[in-house]
Amino acid sequence: MTEATDLAERAGDRDPRVGLRAVSALRRLLEQLEAVQVRSARNQGWSWQEIAAELGVSRQAVHKKYGRQ
Amino acid sequence: MFERFTKDARAVVTEAVVHAKRAGAETVEETHLLLALLDRKGSRGSFALTSLGLPARRGSVERALAEARRRGGLSRADADALSGLGIDLSEIVSRVEEAHGQGALKAERSGTGGGGTGRRRGLVRRSGHRPFTRGAKDLLTDSLRIALANRDRSIGDEHLLLAITARPGVPAEVLADHGVTYESVRRVLYGGGEAKAG
Repeated sequence: MTEATDLAERAGDRDPRVGLRAVSALRRLLEQLEAVQVRSARNQGWSWQEIAAELGVSRQAVHKKYGRQ
Repeated sequence: MFERFTKDARAVVTEAVVHAKRAGAETVEETHLLLALLDRKGSRGSFALTSLGLPARRGSVERALAEARRRGGLSRADADALSGLGIDLSEIVSRVEEAHGQGALKAERSGTGGGGTGRRRGLVRRSGHRPFTRGAKDLLTDSLRIALANRDRSIGDEHLLLAITARPGVPAEVLADHGVTYESVRRVLYGGGEAKAG
């Protein structure tokens, strides 16, 4: 079994609560990590365009979310 | 809903905003409501907390809340769920702190829920107004529900306390670690708990 399917199987653990809790926790962690990385990139002089390109989202999206920080 | 809040419950809500401000948080979170609740004196909520011996352990509660904040606002239950996926939260926290400094992952946006777009954040900042997170709003609604279930006419800070202990998350977890659970609060407030079980 590959690592990816192993992960997928665990995320879909038989008890939906376990899987959902994991997904929710991961999403919140992701939000925090994104904020840290975006802030760091801005501090190093990156443009919104460059940050957006790395994140795979539009410049508008990332600016709307983190602008004025 | 707010017209049914007692003076103490209102004070908790307004003091929560002060706690959020002091912490430099953009939003008012459930944690701030808990901190405001811990400040109350002579209220039903503080009676319950005092009966359960919490005031003496306030420092420990605050440390635990700060520790959770350092973990990005994730609770121990969250950490366990992540570890079920093979993700070691404490490892992530320490690596992020290595690269970005102590407290880098400190929750700044916790409780906004997933997919939060940070809408109107600019406006929020300029006016100095802090919105309540969805979790904090839900907590207020829960307190109303709990008051109704107990046939209490008004919503007091004890209902806020019950609502905090009944919701999954960092505040309830930290309180439970200090002996304050939904059941123990009910017991000191209502006695056995059966008589007025909603």
